[in-house]
Amino acid sequence: MPTEPTHTDISRRQFLKGSAITPLALMLAGSGIAAVYLRPATAGGFTLRPPGAITEKRFLAACVRCGKCAQACPYKSIKMAGGEAGVGIGTPIIIPREMPCYLCSDLPCIKACPSGALDKKLEDIEKVRMGTAVIIDRESCLSIRGLRCEVCYRQCPLIDKAITIEPRHNTRTGEHTIMEPVVHKEKCVGCGICEQSCVLPKPVIVVQRTVEIQKDNYEF
Amino acid sequence: MNFNKWWILRRTVQLLILALIASPLLGMTFFSGNLAAADLLGLPLADPLAFLQALIGGRVFVLSYLGSALLVVAFYFFLGGRSFCGWVCPVGLITELGDKLRRRLGSGEATIPLATSRWSLALVLLTVAATGLPLFEVLSPIGIIGRAIAFASLMPLLLLAAILLVEIAVSRRIWCRSLCPLGGFYSALARFSPVRIGFIKARCTDCGDCLHVCPVEEVLAPSLERGARQVTAGDCNRCLACVDICPTRALQIDLLYK
Amino acid sequence: MELTRRDFIKASAAAAAFAAVGVSVARPKGAEAAETGITWGKAPCRYCGVGCCVLVGVKGGKIVATKGDPAGPVNKGLNCIKGYFLSKALYGKGRLTTPLIRKGNKMVEASWDEALTLIASKYKEAIAAHGPDSVAMYGSGQWTIHEGYTASKLMKGGIGTNNLEPNARLCMASAVVGFMNTFGSDEPMGCYDDLDLGDTYILWGANMAEAHPVLFSRLIDNKLKHPGVKLIDIATRKTRTTKMADEYIAMKPHGDLAAVNAIIHVILRDKLYDESFIKQHVNFKRGKENAPYGLKDKEVFNETPADIKNLTFDEYKELMKQFTPQWGEKISGIPAKKIEELARIYSDKSRKVNSLWTMGVNQHARGVWVNNLIYNLHLLTGKICKPGENPLSLTGQPSACGTAREVGTFAHRLPADMVVMNEAHRKKTAEIWGIDPAKISAKVGLHTMEMFRAIDRGELKCIWIQCTNPFQSLPNVSRLRKAAEARKAFIVVSDIYPTKSTEVADVILPSASWVEKEGVFGNTERRTQQWFKMIEPPGQAKADTWQLIEFAKRMGLGHLFPYSEKGFYKEMWEEYRKFTIGVGKDLAPYEAYAKVRGLRWPVKPDGKETRWRYTETDDPYVKKGEGVKFYKAPGNKVNAWFRPYEPPAESPDKEYPFWFCTGRLLEHWHTGTMTGRVPELKRAVPGATIEMHPEDAKRIGIKNRDMVRITSRRGTIVLPAEINGRSTPEKGSVFTTFFDETKLINELCIDAFDPLSKEPDFKKCAVKIKKA
Repeated sequence: MPTEPTHTDISRRQFLKGSAITPLALMLAGSGIAAVYLRPATAGGFTLRPPGAITEKRFLAACVRCGKCAQACPYKSIKMAGGEAGVGIGTPIIIPREMPCYLCSDLPCIKACPSGALDKKLEDIEKVRMGTAVIIDRESCLSIRGLRCEVCYRQCPLIDKAITIEPRHNTRTGEHTIMEPVVHKEKCVGCGICEQSCVLPKPVIVVQRTVEIQKDNYEF
Repeated sequence: MNFNKWWILRRTVQLLILALIASPLLGMTFFSGNLAAADLLGLPLADPLAFLQALIGGRVFVLSYLGSALLVVAFYFFLGGRSFCGWVCPVGLITELGDKLRRRLGSGEATIPLATSRWSLALVLLTVAATGLPLFEVLSPIGIIGRAIAFASLMPLLLLAAILLVEIAVSRRIWCRSLCPLGGFYSALARFSPVRIGFIKARCTDCGDCLHVCPVEEVLAPSLERGARQVTAGDCNRCLACVDICPTRALQIDLLYK
Repeated sequence: MELTRRDFIKASAAAAAFAAVGVSVARPKGAEAAETGITWGKAPCRYCGVGCCVLVGVKGGKIVATKGDPAGPVNKGLNCIKGYFLSKALYGKGRLTTPLIRKGNKMVEASWDEALTLIASKYKEAIAAHGPDSVAMYGSGQWTIHEGYTASKLMKGGIGTNNLEPNARLCMASAVVGFMNTFGSDEPMGCYDDLDLGDTYILWGANMAEAHPVLFSRLIDNKLKHPGVKLIDIATRKTRTTKMADEYIAMKPHGDLAAVNAIIHVILRDKLYDESFIKQHVNFKRGKENAPYGLKDKEVFNETPADIKNLTFDEYKELMKQFTPQWGEKISGIPAKKIEELARIYSDKSRKVNSLWTMGVNQHARGVWVNNLIYNLHLLTGKICKPGENPLSLTGQPSACGTAREVGTFAHRLPADMVVMNEAHRKKTAEIWGIDPAKISAKVGLHTMEMFRAIDRGELKCIWIQCTNPFQSLPNVSRLRKAAEARKAFIVVSDIYPTKSTEVADVILPSASWVEKEGVFGNTERRTQQWFKMIEPPGQAKADTWQLIEFAKRMGLGHLFPYSEKGFYKEMWEEYRKFTIGVGKDLAPYEAYAKVRGLRWPVKPDGKETRWRYTETDDPYVKKGEGVKFYKAPGNKVNAWFRPYEPPAESPDKEYPFWFCTGRLLEHWHTGTMTGRVPELKRAVPGATIEMHPEDAKRIGIKNRDMVRITSRRGTIVLPAEINGRSTPEKGSVFTTFFDETKLINELCIDAFDPLSKEPDFKKCAVKIKKA
């Protein structure tokens, strides 16, 4: 390298410039770090992870944020979270409304994951539990209002298993059937295709955290 | 500007790393991932510090993952010192460029001891053990750059900008030299690596050019003063700028106890 | 008119009030507050043939809301998802707003006068050089009755050619011929009430759950209310209909022809028929057999009276002896035991049996025959013309019945069941139209397939396409597209959006759609529904009637349309109505339709509608005590036809081992030019897929959503596979939908058609499948 000017005698002007930037730089760096760290990964509510993701807390540690799962996803369903995800920054997420998981039977995302954050023992796509679809707004659901919609049902990759239609008499018209989509959590994998395909501006069927079926001793 | 052979080779490698990370965007499939974990021509590679955090915090153990981490450990152990920082890490590339600007501005000369990075490493490992939070993977500007390239995830680059600002305004390469726990990890690892900088005292003219270009002059200076045959400190970046610049070829690449 | 409009507003205000009460349970409260200042009007839905009624809310010249009309007898305030987003069909991206004329490879904006004058000069030129049969018009079952009537009068009464066809040729021409040659009058005797009143429903290749959504919901309600109700789905793939049916009977493609014959065989063999009904009402006939498949250009096949043999019942029974259940099983794949069972169900005196069918039977190389055979089932068992007990052919377009069939926009038809070949019919038509009978040509015009092939042959010089998209929807469409692209004819396309057909047009005319104009539609169950214009069409877009009449003026035929501007719709209606009075197709005065949600013809002198035809219980043409009287058939006796089995035009072989079938799904309609522009529907179902049986897929190594190359002798296309999705075809066959304009799947379809109805078979051809 060519000889550089020596810096031992910092001019007053340079010093001032330096000192003006210093607090600004420290503040920016500090607030950036704080913004990430003070924010839990689930600040935006439930985060839909790729198939096979282990429990959220362990996932946040086990995921090395390399993005290989996202690169392996043929549908670009898996996206990498940004700073808004808090400590989940750089982890893979699925935003069903943008692109749900299409449940590749060969599970390329799990194969791509190096660290085991996506569970390599999972081989059957129907055993995946990313979450569970829930009809969160029955009053707005067009099918429950009696219209022939049921888009979520027909688009469900586990049609007649994860979502079934429960027909019942429509008392309002007296001569039609309400074809109500019903989600079965023991089958639903939480792929988000229903949420993506819901025709309403705010989807009435959304994927939420899977609540395990509660076991009791009552038999029926 | 120095266009000596090591400099050219090192810049080429640094840029190639960036190109590799970007390659999946162009539909190429021989590389995937980033510096945390990757797949190069079918060979799985993993950042050993990321592996440790995943193991401690996530309590997951994948044998192949351990294998790929060990592979990387072996590689950098062989090359020695913080060769990852000098040759591979994109943050290193950027802070080097930032350092050029800093010198031009003549601001922020302050430095913190190199050993701080080992404390950083300890903090990261303790945090992940205590809270399960992989401190470094969350914060890592290396990951941020990798994802910015591969996924156009640009907002987190603000953190890198903040680091650069601090470095330019306050402290010379504070992140890479003293704070980065990964740097700390490699420096701890590379004490006994076979590839070293050899010093032939007889040829030395005490011109000081090497100390001037060395990013970790506090590593080089004592060795030279002692007249040691080899620079063994793990904090050496293996950037080979000193080898390039030495007018009398007193500094050379050397193998273990030659 | 003013009076009726006021009446109508009163009526619809009341309906809107009712709607507010009826719907409020399920609607968020805020919606009502936002509804102030909205004027509500009634209209039938723009899409399918079910004929749901909607209320259209207009504010500031724009549709701001639509809702199912609670007063609508078909849907009682409900819609399917297409109907829910109905108004968005008008407000999609890229509406055509100005006439465009081709200059080389570019379409250049033009004034209406330029465009129409150009069209008129091209038509005149062609007629002068090659005669009136060198020009044509291709319309639609989505034309309003007025539009179809205008086109018919213009082409048949003005220009003097019968080269007028509706796209309904592609969807229910086989049902038309079936009705005509069995009953002597088009359209069903039954109606939707049969869906509430019957107890046994046999679906022949109809996916009602998706193709007739609201109607299906009505049918299922009957099942919910009455546990004894049985729904049997006979089909070549498992669909959403199958899921809700009591029984699914898998059938090989084209197997219906054998299956129905075998069922009839059992009914005759075991004497399960209703002998007195047969004696009183049925003649037996045998038609011309060994018919071609229409694959050669200009192939002529007609069943003239000379070709038809009368049979006695015994002769018929003797002929039917060959079609044993075992034979039926071999050809149709339906087990002989099931065939016996179906015969017992059809003839069970305690069961009210209905047959329902649509494109599976109609889009069939022997579609008319299968229609005839299904009627035979009902005629032999006497299960016809009774409430809750009828054969019902379902239609797919909002006015396939009202316009294509009743107005008669086919190449051989005149209004109200009349035909151009019949001198008396031409005379009556000319009289009502006020023209010289000689003006109407006795020569049957080109049917749809021949019309477009004639472009390729260079024989047809000009064609005007309105309200339909043939360059996507016709079979073997690549031949036809190539001909159009080679500019072999002067092509005018009137539409509301750019389509695969406007792509090849020389002139594109922007049309008004739905409530941007006044109109009348007629649905499957003979229900005639009227609506008023509620909003202005965008830009310079104009109603198709206006376009045709302005063209007529430039052709020197303006005198055919002497209606006043203000009374246009009513005056034309009253003229058209003359055709229908006294012939069993009676329509009501125009005002009557403004007040009601449609009336089913024949409308009785007291203004009441007719639900069941040919029966004393309802039909005004049948006197009390006459019971059932098929008064439109010669001698009041209908024809039961002997129709043997003949193979399909193309069957799978070694090279092309799969059956290829095409159809509809719920979210999109036809070629998707409207529904494809409704973002919500596009989001729900963005494109076509190829449905396969999981075992076939596994054998070829295809996984769900893998790209698959499908190749027929006519074309090739790549689609994502859908396995274990909404429908599953039987092994050895694949299915796809035709709505996706980025995938011209009709390039694969064979252009074979039924020799009698000339309706192409979109349901059967052979393809090979490869992972792409």
